Amino acid sequence: EFANGRGVRSPAAQKKHRTTTRHTTHSSSARLKSNMNAPERSACFILDEDNGEVKVEYAADTKVNNAGTFTFNKEDHTVGNLLRMQLLRDPSVRFAGYMMPHPLIHKLRLKVQTSSSTVAPVHVLSSAIDDLASETDFLITQVNNAIDKYKKENDQGVMSQF
Amino acid sequence: LAFQSQLEARNHRQDKPAPPPFPPHLEIMPHRRFPKVEIFEMAPHEMRFLLSDTDASMANSIRRIMIAEVPTLAIDLVEFHENSSVLNDEYIAHRLGLIPLRYQAVDSLKGGNDIQGAFLPMRECVCYERCPRCSVEFELEVNYDKENAKRPEGERDMPITITSKDLKSNNECVSPAHFLNEEEADEAHDEGISIVKIGPGQCLKLKAVARMGVAKEHAKWSPVAVATYRFWPVITINEELCATLTLEQKQELVDCCPDRILELDEVTGKLIEAENAWELATYTEDLRVTQNTMKKRPEDDDFISCVQSKDKFIFQVETTGA
Repeated sequence: EFANGRGVRSPAAQKKHRTTTRHTTHSSSARLKSNMNAPERSACFILDEDNGEVKVEYAADTKVNNAGTFTFNKEDHTVGNLLRMQLLRDPSVRFAGYMMPHPLIHKLRLKVQTSSSTVAPVHVLSSAIDDLASETDFLITQVNNAIDKYKKENDQGVMSQF
Repeated sequence: LAFQSQLEARNHRQDKPAPPPFPPHLEIMPHRRFPKVEIFEMAPHEMRFLLSDTDASMANSIRRIMIAEVPTLAIDLVEFHENSSVLNDEYIAHRLGLIPLRYQAVDSLKGGNDIQGAFLPMRECVCYERCPRCSVEFELEVNYDKENAKRPEGERDMPITITSKDLKSNNECVSPAHFLNEEEADEAHDEGISIVKIGPGQCLKLKAVARMGVAKEHAKWSPVAVATYRFWPVITINEELCATLTLEQKQELVDCCPDRILELDEVTGKLIEAENAWELATYTEDLRVTQNTMKKRPEDDDFISCVQSKDKFIFQVETTGA
């Protein structure tokens, strides 16, 4: 029994109610009510190119030798920690650190200092990115090989589901 | 081949001689690593594997990307034609968004989940509003009175549960994820993910549009339920010091671990690591405390030490069916 008043209706009343109310509810993303002050959720990973945001900016440090700060727009710890650890493994890097100045503003600051003036922070960062890219490529092939190997070893019909 | 060309490009820039072929010489790229993957267990909806020879930052980044940045399909826009159920429109729309949608290539020999190139993200598609290239449309229409007429006598006039099985898609590859296989569908009592229950005189009619997105935008687009990793435990047993322990003391050490990572070898009377210690070891504080009581001097070495490995990670990933 439904005690909400919208219980059984007479056929006449049902016909009247069946007007197709086509209100397009922007649904299921909880964006409805809070759009007044909060920025759109997609702003945390989509670059705002209309306002002149670029992905990476570099500013050489004036007070410290051989140092510079990179600003990544719309990035977070996923990339920051990875780059920082890779930079620390490079012997020509004297200092490498990253921070997100504010958790609600999606920018990443990566500060790099190299140990000699022959190697610029830009070169060090680009070689770190190259190393990481090749490492992840290698990882992809390894994962595929491991999956194939596992499938062969456990040759069952179930595996064909994936 | 990709590695070789990348290597050549880099070294050309740095004016070094051409490197030897793959695998590259460690001297030229000293800070590269070659991660290894070994799969322990793989089922259609979960997977456990070991990632080794890499760093904690890589493991963490992989985990973060698995949770937040793998694109998936989920219902994003709902047009209500009629809703006279007890829940209001946005509530039902929210529930619809959280339903995992499975993409299965029609040619099922290839396997289910390669959604990579199948749909364009909304922003990149050139269509005006939506098209089959970037979205999937679902329809749901359940009218209590019509359904009630079809039901057998025993179930009449009970509320009907509208479940995800009532969602009909216009793309045959995409459907809500229900159960893994036939057995589970028979065993479970409910029929798909329930959306709302309706009673006499109520009706729900809507059209839903699903799009690709990443979980950074909204958690409904997250493809995993669980993606975690643990460190591989490295158990070192100091043989000489262990020989000074009595049998009762050894038995006490074996028993004090709640995880049973140690065993007492019957033949030799020595302490050895259990077969699947790596799987079980989660809490080793008891072991350390008990050992401290057994040591003659507090600064002696441990008999058995169990530490985290810095470069081996046991991943466990479970998907939602998407």
